[in-house]
Amino acid sequence: MLDKERAYFSAHAAEWGSIHPGAFVVVKDESLVGAYATIDEALAGGAHEFGLQAFLVRQLGAPPERITIPALTLGLLRADS
Amino acid sequence: MPILNIQLTGAIETPDGKRVTLSGQAALLQRGPVVQVSISVGQAIAQQVLQQGGELPPPVAGLALIDTGATTTCIDEEAAQVLKLPAIDVVTVASASHASSERNVYPISIEVVGLPIVVNAPRSIGAELKAQGLLLLIGRDVLQSCVLVYNGPAGLFTLTL
Repeated sequence: MLDKERAYFSAHAAEWGSIHPGAFVVVKDESLVGAYATIDEALAGGAHEFGLQAFLVRQLGAPPERITIPALTLGLLRADS
Repeated sequence: MPILNIQLTGAIETPDGKRVTLSGQAALLQRGPVVQVSISVGQAIAQQVLQQGGELPPPVAGLALIDTGATTTCIDEEAAQVLKLPAIDVVTVASASHASSERNVYPISIEVVGLPIVVNAPRSIGAELKAQGLLLLIGRDVLQSCVLVYNGPAGLFTLTL
């Protein structure tokens, strides 16, 4: 999912970040659709163009997301004795 | 500021088939802090789709477990497909029990039944929760806007948004 968009973002994030530092960008296929001040504006911008289709939204210059969901990753949501 | 007090009750079936009513304390211990929620596509997207004359699937209702150990809210992947949620990113989730896997990221709106407020979780992660009887794990991305009081001895918890 979004393989093309993620590769395009990785290739251009530094360049876009120098122009729109901290902005939320919308990427579809190999095209930068827009840069927005907030994630809500980016979601609205993406939905305006693509409706309910998938499109990539990422913040420029944001540190890598550190996601921890122990219950999910450890499979501990339920255990029976 | 809306406040939701939840006192859990429940019953279990013993090995010999007897049904035993649980105390509030035991029910909260068994089930954890769960709330009834209704999930729909994130508001920013929903508004655009509706403005353009599009249609949205009806919200999906189910149980959400409040998980203070999770940085990020998770939605059941099957429900995400039913809601036709657009994926807006992909993240890799490591697991202790099997290989790392890629999960879609979805923008969702959460209505907690009993609270007159809709909360947006713009980067919720798709996960297989249905088998656990859950629609949602509410993570700290949502809880950062809430006050949660967990009263174990009384078997109740309070959520304020």
